Amino acid sequence: MNLHTVGLNHDSAPVEIREKIAFSASSVPIALSSFTQSFPLSEAVILSTCNRVEIYATSPDNTLSKEALLDFFSAFHGLPKEKFADHMYHHQDMNAVRHLFFVASSLNSGVLGETQIISQVKEAYMTATAAETTGSILNQLFQRSLNVAKDVHTKTSIGKGNISVSTVAVDLAIKVFKDFSDKTIFIIGAGEMCELVLKHLVERGAKTAIVANRNYDKAKSLAEEYDGKAINYENLDDYLPQADIVISSTASPRPVIHTEHIKSAIKARRGNPMLLIDIAVPRDIDSQVAKIDNVYLYNIDDLQTVANNNAKDRKKDIGNCVVIIDNEVEKFMAWFEELKIGPAIAQLRNHFHEIGEQELERLRPKLGEIAHEEWEHIVYSMQRTLNKILHKPAKVGKEKAKNGGGYQYVETIKHLFGIHHKDETKK
Amino acid sequence: MINLLSPIQYIFIAAIVLYILDSVWEVGSLFRPGTFSKRLSNYFILTGLSFHCAFLIVVSIRSGTLPITTLFESSTFYLSLIVLLSVILKFLYRLQALTPFVMPIVTGFSIASIALIRNDLALTYNLKTFWLFAHIIPLFLGYASFTVSFIFSIMYLTQERQLKKKSFGPLFESLPSLETLDALMWKTITLGFPLLTIGLVSGTVWAKTSNILGLLWYLDPKVTLGALTWLIYAAILHLRLGASFHGTRVAIVTIAGFVIVILTFIGPFLMGHKHGYDKGSVKLEQEIEPEPPGIEKVKS
Repeated sequence: MNLHTVGLNHDSAPVEIREKIAFSASSVPIALSSFTQSFPLSEAVILSTCNRVEIYATSPDNTLSKEALLDFFSAFHGLPKEKFADHMYHHQDMNAVRHLFFVASSLNSGVLGETQIISQVKEAYMTATAAETTGSILNQLFQRSLNVAKDVHTKTSIGKGNISVSTVAVDLAIKVFKDFSDKTIFIIGAGEMCELVLKHLVERGAKTAIVANRNYDKAKSLAEEYDGKAINYENLDDYLPQADIVISSTASPRPVIHTEHIKSAIKARRGNPMLLIDIAVPRDIDSQVAKIDNVYLYNIDDLQTVANNNAKDRKKDIGNCVVIIDNEVEKFMAWFEELKIGPAIAQLRNHFHEIGEQELERLRPKLGEIAHEEWEHIVYSMQRTLNKILHKPAKVGKEKAKNGGGYQYVETIKHLFGIHHKDETKK
Repeated sequence: MINLLSPIQYIFIAAIVLYILDSVWEVGSLFRPGTFSKRLSNYFILTGLSFHCAFLIVVSIRSGTLPITTLFESSTFYLSLIVLLSVILKFLYRLQALTPFVMPIVTGFSIASIALIRNDLALTYNLKTFWLFAHIIPLFLGYASFTVSFIFSIMYLTQERQLKKKSFGPLFESLPSLETLDALMWKTITLGFPLLTIGLVSGTVWAKTSNILGLLWYLDPKVTLGALTWLIYAAILHLRLGASFHGTRVAIVTIAGFVIVILTFIGPFLMGHKHGYDKGSVKLEQEIEPEPPGIEKVKS
């Protein structure tokens, strides 16, 4: 009984390959059922996102292997193996478990700490459950992976702090203002970045926007999109006192907002704070403005620094995430091996009893005429002896399995008594 | 000195121990939320406050009046109201960052108040009159409210400084927005001010009718400082409502107001003046503080 994962991701394969291997949401159930038709006893989950395509599968009869899974991809997509096999990775057993836990916790994502992958893993699992291709092992594995991901996110700072400039700007805004519903956002220069910040602020409840742009039409179209008001660029100063948050990114080579503008705006605002975000290069807002009381000015470098620091903080915590994950991998493997040890012990028992029976068959003719009762005694005594011999190894095996060393132990025992496994003979 | 404590006072010591633990946990949870759990700090503060209140209740039952008969009692009474108000605000507004600022200060004052346990200055006059309650309860609640507004102004200035300096550490993360802090500062001042006014008016009436502070009661330092406190907070209200006076400047004046509150509370005692509190052995014809005549005029 082995656990395999075969797949590719943004690191291992370019998008041209990924898009060929990817499964659409509607094709996943079809793929799953065709997989379980080829491998009737197996369990399977397919995770297909824009960044990765992976299949997780396990089967009690050891029919699965990297090649078998690659063949499945090849057959399903009608693509020769050589075209993609080099980009595919394969993990087995503990490594497969660890891989899934890494993926779910977003340690394997392009953007470290992103949370979308958790819902993608969940959805992949739900789809497989609906297609009835999961069983006790993958149920356990995927449920645990979701818990691990949650744990990693709550106990470490892997997902903390925004790492894009536009969201960092919003982070600063929420440290100045309680809520945005009664605030006026003043956009100067209708660039893409300004729009992005405005979009985030609107998502957070902002309702009033004023847009000024050298090209009035552009201002108007942005303003309309957000129920705002476009104004003439020349009247910019008149509107400053209304602005709680100013986001500026014009193409002007010289500052467009000067100290006097803000000084008089603050005075008109009776000291109500203003947050000025200058994402233009060269800068739009005179840096001296920062010295005015109740005015908070940040330029693109300030935002970038915060974003970079947050990204660094996330990276710093990878170690802690790995500790949590490894701990959970160990727990899962202990459970998994306990599951495996039962059949292994049965195999060991059969092996010994087979030997016993063979010996009894050899013995029977040599004894000549003996009473049925006496023969029963001999048989019974043989079985008792074998059971007594097997008692201890079986007990220790179960204990070992609980502590995570079961697999190795069983292998050693098999090796010791020359018991061969189907998959071992294959190797 | 500790071994001279009465069993009741040990209840207060237990509260202090819990406050110390809480302070460590509150501050710790700002910087290392993983190590110092918020749940445990909630447990510390609530148990600490329960002990604290239990102590004050026992003291009140024994003396038959408010726990203000000695300077030690009134200090602990005042501190308990601060903790109570902070806990209410913390849960009401989900303000995780308030208690990390309040508790180290309260704990410090609580420890300092132990030094007053053996101080035998005590109120010696009739402490069971209606006027005592009408005077003390609003005043103490008002003072607690001003103290919390002082804490909010410290938090405001801390956050404002971090925003200006662009230092965005764990403290920056924990503190709420300037607007929130400004609103809370304002709320606690507007809560404290009417209470202060009621306390001062009832004190004035009491002083005039009972003559417990003598004929020149309005020259009493506590009376004078009380009047000053009232004037300062009245000025804050006036400025914020009327003039261009927001944010940082309100925070600074609030801190100034609090300094006067503290002066009113312990100043006269430190200066050796008895106002209200006196050697228990020496029966003087005075107690309790009332307030200033000037006040009513200002109000109108």
